[in-house]
This record gives sequence, C-alpha cells and structure tokens, in this order.
Amino acid sequence: MAPRNVNLFLVALVVGLLNGWASASSDTANLTAPELVGEMTQIPVSSHAVVAESPVFKPAESFFSLNLLAAFPDDLEISEYCTQLLHLFGQRYVTYVNCMVPSARPVKVCQNCFASYGSLGAIYHNISNEMGPGNVSCKDSLLRKDRLMLVFLLYSNLKEIWEISVCDRCVIKDKTQDYLYKGLTTDTLYFMEALNQSLTCFEKFQQGNHSELCKQCKITYRDLNELYGRMDKNGTLCIDIEDAMNVTRGLWSKKFNCSFPREETVPVIAVSCFMLFLPIIFYLSSFLHSEQKKRKLIHPKRAKSKTSLMNIQDKFS
Amino acid sequence: MANITKKVSWSSRTDESGATGEGTPLLNGSEQPQYSRQLPGGGSLFHIGRLSTVDLEEEMTSDEDSLRGRPKEIPHNEKLLSLKYESLDYDNSENQLFLEEERRMSFIGFRCLEISRWVVCGLIGFLTGLIACFIDIAVEELAGVKYQVVKQNIEKFTEVGGLSISLILWAVLNSAFVMVGAILVAFFEPIAAGSGIPQIKCYLNGVKVPRVVRLKTLLVKVFGVICSVAGGLAVGKEGPMIHSGAVVAAGVSQGRSTSLKRDFKIFEYFRRDTEKRDFVSAGAAAGVSAAFGAPVGGVLFSLEEGASFWNQMLTWRIFFASMISTFTLNFFLSIYHEKPGDLSSPGLINFGRFESDSVAYNLYEIPIFIVMGAIGGLLGALFNVLNYWLTIFRIRYVHRPCLQVMEAMLVAAVTATVSFAMIYFSNDCQPLGPDHSEEYPLQLFCADGEYNSMATAFFNTPERSVRSLFHNQPGTYNPLTLGMFTLTYFFLACWTYGLTVSAGVFIPSLLIGAAWGRLFGILLAAISPSDSIWADPGKYALIGAASQLGGIVRMTLSLTVIMVEATGNVTYGLPIMLVLMTAKIVGDYFVEGIYDLHIKLQSVPFLHWEAPATSHWLTAREVMSSPVTCFNRLEKVGTIVDVLSNTSTNHNGFPVVVHMTGSDEPAKLCGLILRSQLIVLLKHKVFVELARSRLTHRKLQLKDFRDAYPRFPPIQSIHVSQDERECMMDLTEFMNPTPYTVPQETSLPRVFKLFRALGLRHLVVVDDENRVVGLVTRKDLARYTLGKHGLEELQLAQT
Repeated sequence: MAPRNVNLFLVALVVGLLNGWASASSDTANLTAPELVGEMTQIPVSSHAVVAESPVFKPAESFFSLNLLAAFPDDLEISEYCTQLLHLFGQRYVTYVNCMVPSARPVKVCQNCFASYGSLGAIYHNISNEMGPGNVSCKDSLLRKDRLMLVFLLYSNLKEIWEISVCDRCVIKDKTQDYLYKGLTTDTLYFMEALNQSLTCFEKFQQGNHSELCKQCKITYRDLNELYGRMDKNGTLCIDIEDAMNVTRGLWSKKFNCSFPREETVPVIAVSCFMLFLPIIFYLSSFLHSEQKKRKLIHPKRAKSKTSLMNIQDKFS
Repeated sequence: MANITKKVSWSSRTDESGATGEGTPLLNGSEQPQYSRQLPGGGSLFHIGRLSTVDLEEEMTSDEDSLRGRPKEIPHNEKLLSLKYESLDYDNSENQLFLEEERRMSFIGFRCLEISRWVVCGLIGFLTGLIACFIDIAVEELAGVKYQVVKQNIEKFTEVGGLSISLILWAVLNSAFVMVGAILVAFFEPIAAGSGIPQIKCYLNGVKVPRVVRLKTLLVKVFGVICSVAGGLAVGKEGPMIHSGAVVAAGVSQGRSTSLKRDFKIFEYFRRDTEKRDFVSAGAAAGVSAAFGAPVGGVLFSLEEGASFWNQMLTWRIFFASMISTFTLNFFLSIYHEKPGDLSSPGLINFGRFESDSVAYNLYEIPIFIVMGAIGGLLGALFNVLNYWLTIFRIRYVHRPCLQVMEAMLVAAVTATVSFAMIYFSNDCQPLGPDHSEEYPLQLFCADGEYNSMATAFFNTPERSVRSLFHNQPGTYNPLTLGMFTLTYFFLACWTYGLTVSAGVFIPSLLIGAAWGRLFGILLAAISPSDSIWADPGKYALIGAASQLGGIVRMTLSLTVIMVEATGNVTYGLPIMLVLMTAKIVGDYFVEGIYDLHIKLQSVPFLHWEAPATSHWLTAREVMSSPVTCFNRLEKVGTIVDVLSNTSTNHNGFPVVVHMTGSDEPAKLCGLILRSQLIVLLKHKVFVELARSRLTHRKLQLKDFRDAYPRFPPIQSIHVSQDERECMMDLTEFMNPTPYTVPQETSLPRVFKLFRALGLRHLVVVDDENRVVGLVTRKDLARYTLGKHGLEELQLAQT
C-alpha cells in the first residue's frame, strides 16, 4: 500500500462517507448509517488539525511518521486566502452532514438542515466565483487543479441529495443573500400543523377499538389527505412532507386498518353476470332468428373439358 | 327475350349486387340484343356475328345445368371468390393517344412530373402525420375525460358504497362511445371496419377494393377509431393509421376529390391506377411510420406487402414520405406536450427507451427467446383460429347493420364489466410511484398511498398499459395479476377483432404478449438459482410482445424493423428477428396469419408471391375463361352497348380482333380494350360517321380518360339513340395494341409470374395463329389454392 498522507486519509474518509450518503436513498442506508455517524465524530477534530498544519509543513509534530509530503514552493501551492476558504468549507460541510444524518429517519432533512445547507452553498459560491484580495481566484487552485476535484465532488454530491429531496419547495430563499434560506414556507408549516392534529387524534384514540379511531379521526385525516393532494398538484411537496404523509397513511391503513372494506361483492357479481349474459342472448338470438347469409355461386365460362374440381383431383392423385 | 338488365353501379355496395335488381329496359329500342363474337373454347372454329342470338346467360345456364344442377346458394365460407373485386389497371395501355402525349411532352415536362411526385410524397407524409396527431390527441383527451369521470365516481362510491353503479356507469360510457363509432362504420362505410391492413394489402396486391380509398372512408375511419379506442375496447389505433395514410395518398395524388366535387387541376398526370398504386404504397408506409415511429419499417412494409418492383426511385420517395410523416407527428405532438421543437418522441405508440444495463441480453438467453417465440406462435394460432370461427359466424348471422352496432356495444359493455370485476377482486396493491407513471391510479380497497395494480393494466388506454408493462420496475405486478390479465385480455381482443368498428389488432397483441412475457420473466427470475438480475421483466415483456404479435399477424421483415425502431435499440434486432421467425414457423404450421384469414374470408382474389406448388401440370388452356367476348377493330355501337350492359358477364377487358368481313377466316388478335375506355368513347360519341360529318369535332385526348377516372359512369347512364346504334366505332386508336399474350400450353406458374410481376389485369391466350382462345384474369388464377388435400379450386360467388 502506498504511503498515505494525513490529508488524503481524511479525505478518503469523507469521500467514503459521501458515497455512503449518495446511496442513502436506497435501502442500504440502514446498514451504513450508524458506522458513518461514528466516524463522523472524529472528523471535526482532525480536520482542524489538518487545516492548521498544511500551509507550513512540520514533520516533527506530525502524528504519522510516514508523512512524505514535501513542501511546494509558495507560488505553486494555494494562497492563504484560499486555504482559509477551504477550511471554512470543511467546517460547514461537516456541520451540514452532521445535521442530515440524524434527520434521516423519519426524514426531516429539509426542515432541520436548510440553514447549514445555505451556508455551505454560500461558501462554495465564494470559492467558485468570487475574486479574493489581490484578484486571486480560488476556483482554479481549489476546484480543478487535479483529476479528483475533491471539493467539487463533495459539494456536488450534497447538492444532488438536496435536489433529490426537492427541499427547495419547502423552504423560502432569503432574498437579500444568495444561497441562504430564511425558513419553511407557510404551506409546509400549515401541513405540519394539520399533520400534528391527525397524529394527536391518533394518539388519543389509539387505545382500545380501532374502529372508534377510524370514526373519530376521519375528518382530520381526510383534511390532511386533501391538503396533501392539493400540495401535490401545486408542486409544493418536499421529501419531509412526503415521508410524513406516507407514515401517516401507513398508520391509518395498515396499523389502524381504516381502509374501505370490500363489502358489495354480491351486487357487483350480479351486475357482472347480467352483463356477461347479454352477449350470450344476443348471439343465440341472432343465430336462431337471423337468416343465414347465402352466397350465390356463379359458374364461370370455361373451356369445356377439364375444369371441374373432380378432374383436378383425379389428375393430382 | 327482352333485354333486362340489372342496375350495376361501379362502386356497388355489398348487398346491392346480390339483390335481384330492378329490371329496366335499357334502350329505347326493345329489339333483341345481337350477340357478337363468341369463341368456343377448345375448338378453333370461329362463330361469327349473327349466328347466335341467344343471350349469353341463357347459353351458359343451359349447358351448365346438366353438369352441376342449378346455380346454388351456399353459406359463406372461406373458399369463395367474390365478383365485386376487380383488378387495378397497373399495366400501362400504350395506345396511340398515349404515344402522342408522350411525343408532345417536353423534357421540362418530365422533370416537372418527377418533382411533383416528390411534392405529392411530401404532402402525403405531412397530412398523414397530421391525421395521426389528431387521432392521438383526440383519443387522449376523450379517454382522459372518461377515465376521470369513472375514477371520481369509483372513489365516491368506494366510500359510501354502491360500486355496482360505477360499474354500470363505466359500461354505459364505453358503449356510448363505441355506439357512435359502430354506427359510423356500419351505416356509412362498412369498408372502414377493422384495421384496414387487409384491405390495403389487397389494394397493393392489385385488387380494386370498392370504396377503400375514398374520402368518406377516411373520415369514418378516423372518427371510428377515436370512438373505439376511447370506448375502451381492446383495440389499437395503429392499423387504421395505415389505411388512413393510404387514403390520403390516393386523394392527394389525384389533385381533386370526387366526393367533394372539387378539382384543383393539378397532378392530372397521376390519374390512373399505375401512379395511384405507387402513391398508395407511399401512403401506407407513411401510415406505418406515423403509427410506430418507424420510417424504415414503413418502407419495408409497403415493399413487403405491395409494390411489385423494387424500384429505386420509388423506394426513395416512399422513404421520404415516411420520414416526413414521422417528424410531422413529432413536431405537432411536441407542441401539444408544450415542448415545441422537440422531435424525439416519435410514433403513436412509443415503447419508451430500452437502454439501461439490466435490459442487455446474453448469449444464453437466446434459446429462452426462441422458446418464447414458439409460445407466441401457438397462442397466435389459437387467437387466429378462434377469430376465424367468430368471423364466419359474424358474416353468416350478424350481417345486418343494427345487429352489428348492438354487438359492438355489447362487447364494449362486457369489456368494461370484465375489467371492473378484475380490478374489484384484485388484491395486488402497489405503492404509488414518485413520478406518477400511473395515469389514473385507482385505490379502491388498497391502503392509502397505494394503488390497485390490476387497474394500471385495465383502467388505461392499451398503449399506456403496454408501456407500463415494458418499463415499470420489477415487482410492480405480481404473477397472479399478470396471468389473469393475459387470459382475459386474450379472449377480449380475440372477440373484439372483426367487430364493425375501425380498430387495429397490433396493440392488443402487443399487450397480451407483453403481459405473458413479463409473467415469463418474473417466473424465470424466481426459478433461477442465484438472485441474478438478468431476467429483467421489461425485457421479457418486449420479447413476449414481439412473439405474440408475430404469431398473430405473421409479418416478417417489416415487423422486425418496426419493432426494432419502436424500441429504439438496434441490439434487439437479433432476438426480435429470431422470435418472429419462430413464431411464424410455429404459427404457420396451424393456420395462416390473421390478415390473410380475413382476406380469404372476404373472398378477395389475392395473388400470393408464388403460384401454388404442384400446379405446373395446369396449363393456360385449363385456367382461362373460355368463350371470350371480342370486338372488331371497327365495331358497331349497338353491339358494344349490348355487351357492356350485359350484367351476367360484366367483363372489363375485351380483345380486339381483325376480321375479314364476309369470309370465314378466323380473326386475329390485334389489341385489347377496357370497359372504362369504351364507356368514355361512348360518352364522347366517338363514332366514325359523326367524325366524318362534323369536321370540328375535337379529337379525344388522354385527358378525357383521366377526367373520368376513377369513377367511370355505369353504362346505364349513357344514352345511345337508335340511330347511333347503327354507327360504327373505330377502336384502333384507343386500344392497347400490344397486350401480353401466352400460348395455350403455358403452365400456371408461368402465367402467375407474369401476372404478379407485371401487375396484369388481362392476359390473352392465343393459339399458334394468334387467334384468341381465352382470357386469363386475376380470378382465374386466384381460385387455385393449396389446401390440405392438394390443389383446391375456389368457387366464384356473388357477394
């Protein structure tokens, strides 16, 4: 195995974490989530250390003895400003990931983490666009200096998660500052309110007979369902709301068994049989009463000798 | 004996010609028809002129009576040839008028013709695409409204009870749509029934199917298909597109509409069967290409089914028409879907994209595909046999229009009922997808947030069901649902095809195949040892669909290309081809393809590619019709009128002979003249005596023949006075001076090859001295088929 520098090691950790996250939408999330969280606790500490160390290389203080990274001349490496940006990016990144993991189930990634996502976006925006002091842009030095393009990769993964969960629909953008979010939309808050009502109702009647619950909570639940339907049509649903609704529906239909029962089997069968019976009558009556269509045969003019079918067959056999 | 004639119109409807008809004395003179040349068959002796004053019919019955008894009536069956079908005049008549016109035409004139051919093809493509677009949008909107209404109703009654009312509502809505469609077809244009592919096949084969390329047919077809698809029948709108394209082609290329009585005075050169048939093949191709988004498939379809020659320029033009049609459709659909300019969603049926890794296939799957092909062939044969018996029953007993409408309505109601019952009793609930791939999800008794999986298959237009079977995630359907669906839909589709509604069989076949193919895939995945992902149900659904379709329609090359183009994935070429081959081989072992069956049942004289095997011993002498009615080069008008108005014969081509008057020498063949030409001549009174007396008389041109095309007036509408009957007519200028002839000893396959390759209508049989012995027409050839007991002969019948 090639000797590894501390930076790279940590980087690998974070990348691994992210890859775990990228597939977190699939059902593998349950497996990997706990260990990832465990690892994440270390990250803030060590990343601090790394950022502090990296500009000036101090071999004696290094934790690992096999640190082979030689110092580059200053003009080739990144500027002080960019290092700071990178540092900041790292911190905010960690904050956001730290926020998201506990909100994975039940899904609350939008309502809990929009603030940290906003600040992460802002810093990334700084890296990728803004000119720093002395007209230095960190875009080249941080984002696309190497094949890995780690900062870009890290950010785009998180961005993808944000986009898949369509959180943008549930949070309001801060008009004054780009990339920052002000809070949840009124629609979302209203939905949460309605959801809470239903849940309280469920809790109230949970004991004892579920049919009582079905009767009592029907109105609040139906309102909630309708609200959800409306929001679905408007396109104001984000993953939080969808998940909450799914869970509630699951409670309602599966746990409390309030779905509609199949009750009218007899009338449906009766009507169906009647309908199926009609064609039989139709065909029978047309068979019996309709006169059969006949075709008039016409004898073609032929040379008199060998035209009849009999002849053909004689000849053939 | 009085000259009693039946009224024969040239585009007679089925029942008219079967009736006894009003007897109207044709001419003001009630004299005996004087019968002219009748050539007795085997003998070389030539009966001349006034020798026989007997009516032909009389003569015929009298000598046939002794042989076979009175002309009898038999129930309709497949072993008949109907008299109402005639051949197209594909062969050009190179008479003097034609030569003159050609001489007059400049080089530029020919270039203009060539350019206008391209213009016509472009127009055909464009209009066909527009029609496809119209049908698609109309079906989508109507079906959308219907399903919304029913869905809301079901939702309401799921809650409060009374679902049987929803069932009735659904059935009534279906029947109402279908009733409109069926009334349109049954009462206004019966030829528009069915998919139209058999009719177009016949047309391209060279049979003039009455009324098949009329504007009225197009209208009935388009609205009929909208009604029947929106009415929830187990049908598709793809077959009718082919017919529609053909009608558009036949209309546009003529530059006028006879039905609307509008003549735009353009494209006059194209007003004859030869040109029209070429354009119709372009139209059919454009229809296929609009229906499936398969331009190449369209070209191959019309080449496979019709065009007699592989003409490079024609093929290129056909391809142009199909391309234009696909992309017109795409363009307008993109506007409809509010993505204007996006040209990439071709076809009425869009199979969607098969591109992900899971739909790749491996070598070891090929045998599985072949097995599926065999299953498709078997099921297809079963489908065809059932449909065959049903169709015979329908022809025999359900022939009155009102009965036909009732039948269609009943089928629609039963379809709704069966679908409803299936959905009602299904326990297969699936969670709603994130992207709302289910258009009208029905919850019914499922948990909230889930939908009834049976409903995606039944409560949907068939096209969408096919697509969801191809593309939905594995696990969307459980095997029981698919099994039940296949079974019911198989019988529903079989029952539906052949109703008096315009509707195609492509989509139902695809749907049946996709259902059992998906089932097959699921079972394969279940029995395969490891939890491998190779048995992707979508892939097997596609293969199943291909094999089922191949088993039913038995098309070969064109179907392969259509399927490959519709899936948009060339790598599926091999499995689809193998599957279609297997399905065809297996299916042909039992019964023919459904289109061929229906062509047979309609008693069409259809010429296949080859003469029936083991028919080499039959010679032209045995095949031909024998005493031939001939005309003299200089013929009396009265004789011509009498021959033409004799309904018992209704011949269309008459050999013209030179005959030395006064001597007994046999007459020799010198040309062939068509009934349509004679009628135009009579109408314009091109008589020798008149030409002499009136010097100013305009010379007849080819244009006069074209103006009368394609609906030449019946002979009854032409009045010839007593004096004029005595005039003479000189046919020299108008007849085709070089008709194709064969000696009497020519074998049937040889005659057949001539007919098929040259698109002939009449072939004169002559003896060694060029005397007319007989005449071979399409019906004489088509009556020989290879049955189970060797060569069989079909009978001619009036229908």
